[in-house]
Amino acid sequence: MRNAYMTDELEAIYEQTVDFVAKEVTPHGDAWEEAGKVPREVLQQMGELGMFGLRVPKEHGGLGLGMLASATFSEALGASTFAGFDVTVLVHTDMAGPHLINSGNDAQLAEWVPKMLAGEAIFSIGVSEPDAGSDVAGMRTAAVKDGDGWRINGRKIYITNAVYGDLTIVAARTDLENKYGITMFLVPAGTEGFSVANKLDKHGWRCSDTAELILDDVWVSDEQVLGTVHRGFYETMKNFQNERMVLVGMGIGAAQAAIDMTNAYTQERKAFGGHLFDLGAIRQRMAMNQAKVDAVRASMYHAAWMHDAGQDNVKAMSGVKAWGCEVVNQVMYDCVQFHGGMGYMRESAIERMYRDARILPIGGGATEVMLEEVAKRSYA
Amino acid sequence: MKILCCVKRVPAPGAKINVTADGQDVDAAHLGFTMSPHEECAVEGAVQLIEEHGGEVTVLTLGTGDAEEQLRYAVSVGATHGVLVEADTIQWDPQRTAQAITAAVQELEGDEPFDLIMFGNESADAGGFQVGIRIAMALGRPIVQGIKGVEIGDDTIIARREIDGGFEVYELPSPAVLGIKEGLNLPRYPTMKGRLASKKVELNSITASAAEGGQVRVKLHRPEETVSETVILGMGAEAAAAVVDVLDELGVL
Ligand SMILES: Cc1cc2nc3c(=O)[nH]c(=O)nc-3n(C[C@H](O)[C@H](O)[C@H](O)COP(=O)(O)OP(=O)(O)OC[C@H]3O[C@@H](n4cnc5c(N)ncnc54)[C@H](O)[C@@H]3O)c2cc1C
Repeated sequence: MRNAYMTDELEAIYEQTVDFVAKEVTPHGDAWEEAGKVPREVLQQMGELGMFGLRVPKEHGGLGLGMLASATFSEALGASTFAGFDVTVLVHTDMAGPHLINSGNDAQLAEWVPKMLAGEAIFSIGVSEPDAGSDVAGMRTAAVKDGDGWRINGRKIYITNAVYGDLTIVAARTDLENKYGITMFLVPAGTEGFSVANKLDKHGWRCSDTAELILDDVWVSDEQVLGTVHRGFYETMKNFQNERMVLVGMGIGAAQAAIDMTNAYTQERKAFGGHLFDLGAIRQRMAMNQAKVDAVRASMYHAAWMHDAGQDNVKAMSGVKAWGCEVVNQVMYDCVQFHGGMGYMRESAIERMYRDARILPIGGGATEVMLEEVAKRSYA
Repeated sequence: MKILCCVKRVPAPGAKINVTADGQDVDAAHLGFTMSPHEECAVEGAVQLIEEHGGEVTVLTLGTGDAEEQLRYAVSVGATHGVLVEADTIQWDPQRTAQAITAAVQELEGDEPFDLIMFGNESADAGGFQVGIRIAMALGRPIVQGIKGVEIGDDTIIARREIDGGFEVYELPSPAVLGIKEGLNLPRYPTMKGRLASKKVELNSITASAAEGGQVRVKLHRPEETVSETVILGMGAEAAAAVVDVLDELGVL
């Protein structure tokens, strides 16, 4: 049993995922980083093995599990050491997918869930814009009623999975009177006027595709409205804690792998008549890193459990996101440091993991934004 | 049909394997465990047979409680039942292992023999090549080793063994025993649902009893690590001349 929240089910998810990434991801990841793409075949293979259905209700062909399952899944993916792969999967299953599951009507679920489960259609979520990141109220993409549907105009940026993906859940302003009057739309790739302006060139997550998107007079039918008109912002909020958590989960999985790698490396590397790991400065720092990672992991599972037990976990999960993503970066920094020159070389895994980690305190709610969520809930 | 697959828990390949201080066992403290590739293919083959013909696959292992991990893995890829023949260690001598498994098989079968029993051709660690043959002998059933193809005939089992440039084909009366070799198939991955099922399946446990056989382990010894050196002679076509020089030096030209 890995921790107090584990059940046989979660244990099975962990084993399944760790085994899969060890065999099918880690050995090939370098080539994917080079290509800037995760091959669709791998995603389809995961689909066939039922790995995309943890959060999908049983009646729609999934396993109907809760947030603890996502915590376990994301942590296990992190063991791949290729965060670009992890996020490709997690945007599909845990950041975009849940909006369809939470807000989709019967026809939308019937059309898209089977493809989502099979990895035949890969999902993305398009909220961020050049002038609207942390502050969603700055959103300029707008949709206006046009016949039996809506006409959308605007721009989206930093959208994961939208270069090679198949369906983007696009947020657009529909109520000009209200800054949170936003509606979500299902916009398939290839829709007229919907295009990729740019495949973005990133510091890390190199095998994850990130798009800048243009919506130029895109017409979508009323059937493509996801959830309630004008209520999109509140509906997407339902998934915020999950989205934050899986970023921590994949980060913790990677941080643990980095610690294991660094401990092994410094225990082999000879210096000063012994090994690097014999030096107090190194072994103590690595021990502290392990303690921090253990603490973040425990608090992440706890915040997930709170949700599954029906408690409000916004304060707890925001804190975990803020602190956890900072910890992951501190750990990666030390691991590069103790790899010495090798840690700075492109050929070393730790160099990549260090770059990959940097986005974690920015995306899905920046650290400062997360701390505000905690602070707002901290008045006596 | 009813198929039995016998598998053994062995250290996962690729790890650095240390020997315990008394030289009697592999130091398992930092090792991952698996079943051998031969046996993985046997389980896959058995599952494919019941998918085609209907029936049940039972997977059996002799060992300590830890070996449940391999039984559950087999269930996650489609086996129906798991049986642990409980012994104080996995490393019983081949005679004793064969005796204990034979007794367990007889207990499981009652009057209804397994149509087919599959073993790995040899275990991935000890590599004794004995257990399957001894059990087939004890049960009075035909056995063929080195099998890379299995089909079901009318009351027979058809097995193919790879030989230089072709196959030998055997037709065995059922019930029969086969020693399976890696390459029989490409074992599948567990599905998420299979994994979940494997955690819930109730395993059957039988206490192993058999007298020690004649074979005694004297001592395990870990050979000195050999440090090999890689010299890059050049890149692309330019390396050819240097390679020829080396081959010449070695006297292989
Ligand atoms: C690789 C990558 C993938 C992404 N994938 C997606 C995706 O799939 N879909 C999507 O919609 N978006 C995605 N994003 C966008 C991401 O969510 C935003 O980058 C993030 O929300 C921050 O917005 P911003 O970049 O506009 O930064 P800004 O909002 O301009 O903030 C800049 C910085 O200011 C600070 N700050 C901001 N607000 C506050 C505050 N209230 N108090 C104190 N400090 C503050 C923070 O340090 C923050 O990092 C992705 C981004 C990247 C880099």
